[in-house]
Amino acid sequence: MKLLIFPHLVHKEIFENMKISDLVLLSFVSENMKKRIKSSQITRFKSISHIEYGTYDYPRRVYFPYQNHGIYRGILDNIMEFKERSDNETDNEFFRVNVAGKIMNFRLSYEHDCPAVYFHPSEKESAIESIHNYFLDFFDNTVEYQWYQWITDDEDSIPNFHQLALSISFDSKKYGRRDVESLEKFFASSPVIKRVDMQLDTSYLFRPESKFYQVESVHLKLYSHAVPTFLRHFQGRQAFLSCYYKWNILDLIEFMHRWKSGEECRKLEYLKMELSINEIPQDQILNALGVKHIDESNTPPTHELPLAFWSGFDPNTDPIVSHSYVVRNTDNRVASVSIQNNWFCFGVWKETEQEFLRMVT
Amino acid sequence: MSSTEQGTSSAAPAEPTTAPESAAAPEVPESFYYVHGKDKVVHKVSAGALQHSALIHGMISNLGYTEEQAKANPFPFENIDGDILQMVVDWCNQHKGKPTPPEDTNLPKQKEKLFDLVLAVNYLEIKELLTYCCKQVAMMVKGKSPEEIREIWMIPTDAEDEAAEKEAKKRAGKEAAGETAAAAGDAK
Repeated sequence: MKLLIFPHLVHKEIFENMKISDLVLLSFVSENMKKRIKSSQITRFKSISHIEYGTYDYPRRVYFPYQNHGIYRGILDNIMEFKERSDNETDNEFFRVNVAGKIMNFRLSYEHDCPAVYFHPSEKESAIESIHNYFLDFFDNTVEYQWYQWITDDEDSIPNFHQLALSISFDSKKYGRRDVESLEKFFASSPVIKRVDMQLDTSYLFRPESKFYQVESVHLKLYSHAVPTFLRHFQGRQAFLSCYYKWNILDLIEFMHRWKSGEECRKLEYLKMELSINEIPQDQILNALGVKHIDESNTPPTHELPLAFWSGFDPNTDPIVSHSYVVRNTDNRVASVSIQNNWFCFGVWKETEQEFLRMVT
Repeated sequence: MSSTEQGTSSAAPAEPTTAPESAAAPEVPESFYYVHGKDKVVHKVSAGALQHSALIHGMISNLGYTEEQAKANPFPFENIDGDILQMVVDWCNQHKGKPTPPEDTNLPKQKEKLFDLVLAVNYLEIKELLTYCCKQVAMMVKGKSPEEIREIWMIPTDAEDEAAEKEAKKRAGKEAAGETAAAAGDAK
């Protein structure tokens, strides 16, 4: 059976019936085959929003969240597995493939139904980089590649590859009580990180010039009195904060004043804070100076922003519907303010106040 | 030319039963058409069964043939082997007027037969059968290494592709040179 004799439409139909991991294997057969797969699977590849290099279990695997009837249900479609080979394994136990100019050893992983690439620990980084470069060429250029790393040890190395968004989670048992200085060093020596998930049991935060504040999306659990410091220096887009202990409500009002004056969080798009101990005195905040209100008889527009770093499991947005808003003095842009139970949500609009009010129905 | 009678279960129109005037109009007798492949064996197939093939359906929809005209003018599919056309006709008869199931396990297991069936079905534009066939072709390489896939689907290596491309360029160059020389000769 000479597959290449089939016309394009038949190739397309055959490839549609193959898993992505099988298409990757098929693309290894020849350059011509790779070209045919790419040209016939444009729509399918475009539907992959992101590919994750995750660590749900050992070994690290490459997968993408699988969309079923338009909804992501947390189903993962494995593409490849990364494994370190032991010294007693010989090359004969693998099939060899030239991947982006590097000859690499593979086996089929029946457990995860995908190819598994094997490398010596010393070659780990270069091997993964070759695979990553291959994917960059193979899949659509709109795909976001996300590397998830759980930092448990100072020796954990973080890759610095082209077009690879990094999500770093710190082991709270080990890092929660670490001195901020050593964490500063970590951020200073790391490549640009897109998402950080950490718990800080320390009283002090990072220095204002720390690279930590440049992280685009931050999920932080910290002491409530460290929140103003964080908000003063944060240069990212989205922050999700959980606070210990009693919250000083004046800090929240102060934050809104500073934001309005254009003094802080100029790039901020979304802020969500959970106060686990005390209820937020809603009236006190919403009656603070400068908070405006849309008439209760009208429906406010919904602030709906895609998460800066979305894993494909939870919904991609965390909408805010609120009648309360504040306006930034420097550019007249609006932020919706919502307080419900223990949650304070602050969503910045691209629209000016006039444009925003036109969306009220 | 030999002839087989395929799909003839409703060849003789049923006697219309007596029904009250308000009942539906009497059933129109089913029309039949004839097809043959490379082996010239003629298959009689109902228009209903042929609806699966977008190509044939398009050909017959405006013909308005009588039974005699249809018999005298079988559709020739010289590019399809007789046994493959027989498979296609059987499939169309089996699935006439029925919703197609999600899977079809009666497809040929031999590689070459499946390959020919894919080409025939693609030519005849039988979408559902093409989907079944392509699923089966895809399954052939499930759990195989790239080298095994290359063998099963006879995919040339990069070196072989390059050599073939060079050869094709060389041939095209020679042909172009030949045409130029011929044109120059004509001009003289």
